Amino acid sequence: MGGGNPDPAERELIALMRDYLAGRIEAFDGLYAALAARLRAYLISLCRDASVADDLLQETFLQMHRSRRTYQPGRPVAPWVFAIARHVFLMHRRGTARRVRFLERVAAAVGADEVMRDDRRALADVDAVRRALRAVPADQRRALVLHHVEGWSFAEIAGRLGIRLNAAKTRAFRGMRRMREQLK
Amino acid sequence: MRAPNELRDLIARDLAPARPLAPPALRALALVPVAAAIVVLIPALNELRPDLPSVGVVRALGFAVLQAIAGVAIVAAALRESVPGRQWRVGHVVALVAGGLLTAVLLPGLAAQAFDVAPRPAGAVAVGVACFRTSALAALPALAASAMLSARAFPLRPAVAGALYGLGAGLIADAGLRLWCEFSAPAHVLLAHVGAVVVSMLLGTIVSVVYASFMKG
Repeated sequence: MGGGNPDPAERELIALMRDYLAGRIEAFDGLYAALAARLRAYLISLCRDASVADDLLQETFLQMHRSRRTYQPGRPVAPWVFAIARHVFLMHRRGTARRVRFLERVAAAVGADEVMRDDRRALADVDAVRRALRAVPADQRRALVLHHVEGWSFAEIAGRLGIRLNAAKTRAFRGMRRMREQLK
Repeated sequence: MRAPNELRDLIARDLAPARPLAPPALRALALVPVAAAIVVLIPALNELRPDLPSVGVVRALGFAVLQAIAGVAIVAAALRESVPGRQWRVGHVVALVAGGLLTAVLLPGLAAQAFDVAPRPAGAVAVGVACFRTSALAALPALAASAMLSARAFPLRPAVAGALYGLGAGLIADAGLRLWCEFSAPAHVLLAHVGAVVVSMLLGTIVSVVYASFMKG
């Protein structure tokens, strides 16, 4: 079935993966026990932050679950899982960059340079952002914060809120527009 | 190390038997009927190349089939690229793209009487446009089928997967032109035939990247 002659540990992973594909939760436990420590170390080496790595570890197992059909029975499990983990890290990095851009835009909107110089005014500006956020309808605010502040993808937001992908995008977009209008 | 309860519960709620995807080479065989239809339909809807008697049916058809097989093989490579942990190394991707484009460059000459059979200067542009348009349009069904096959997996580098299946689809479409177009002059081959293959490759890249970003939200 390809993948050469795997070592005993890899053979065990292959057997666990086969059971996991068959729908056995015990196989997931086995995979987690066998892979989590190695994956965590790998993710720490990529993001250099243990708490972020812990979050990414959970996301890796979720992504692995979603795309488990792409695992080809008999092939080594580790390269498949580590490729997914790397992808999860890259998506996280992209989300972080997006969050930073959002905060920079908000800071620019409230005059960040002055905020740095004047603490009292800074507090007032933070308050302005809070007020602007409060003025955004709750459903739009939720999508806005989840996407731009917490870095969730629209697909994840749609899944969490039980709405369609386009609805998640529209809510976040309208929320952002409303917030900008409030800050003017 | 035990899975956190929240994660385990989430997985347990959603866990159901899942049928794994077949190996990429096997999945690429789904394109064989599409490729066969393209190779047959292009000359059927237009005309057979006029120099067929002197070139020989076996030679012209042989090179058309050879190019279509190369296209399906490159789509298989794209489907392998779409499986996590099975991505090609950069050198392999470069070799696949170079090999695919070289096939499109060389086969028109090998399937012709000489390497410099050119259309009449007065009609060269019209002939070029006709070949380009036919090749580019014929690539669309193969491109759509390849994109669907790739999207069913999980391409971690959608641009690479898309470029490869676009190249494969372009080669499959251009294979049909081996039985229609008799010209092998470098200018015609590069602009009309290889140009259409490159356009298909770019289209594949765009489709794959747009689809991936749509899925990620």
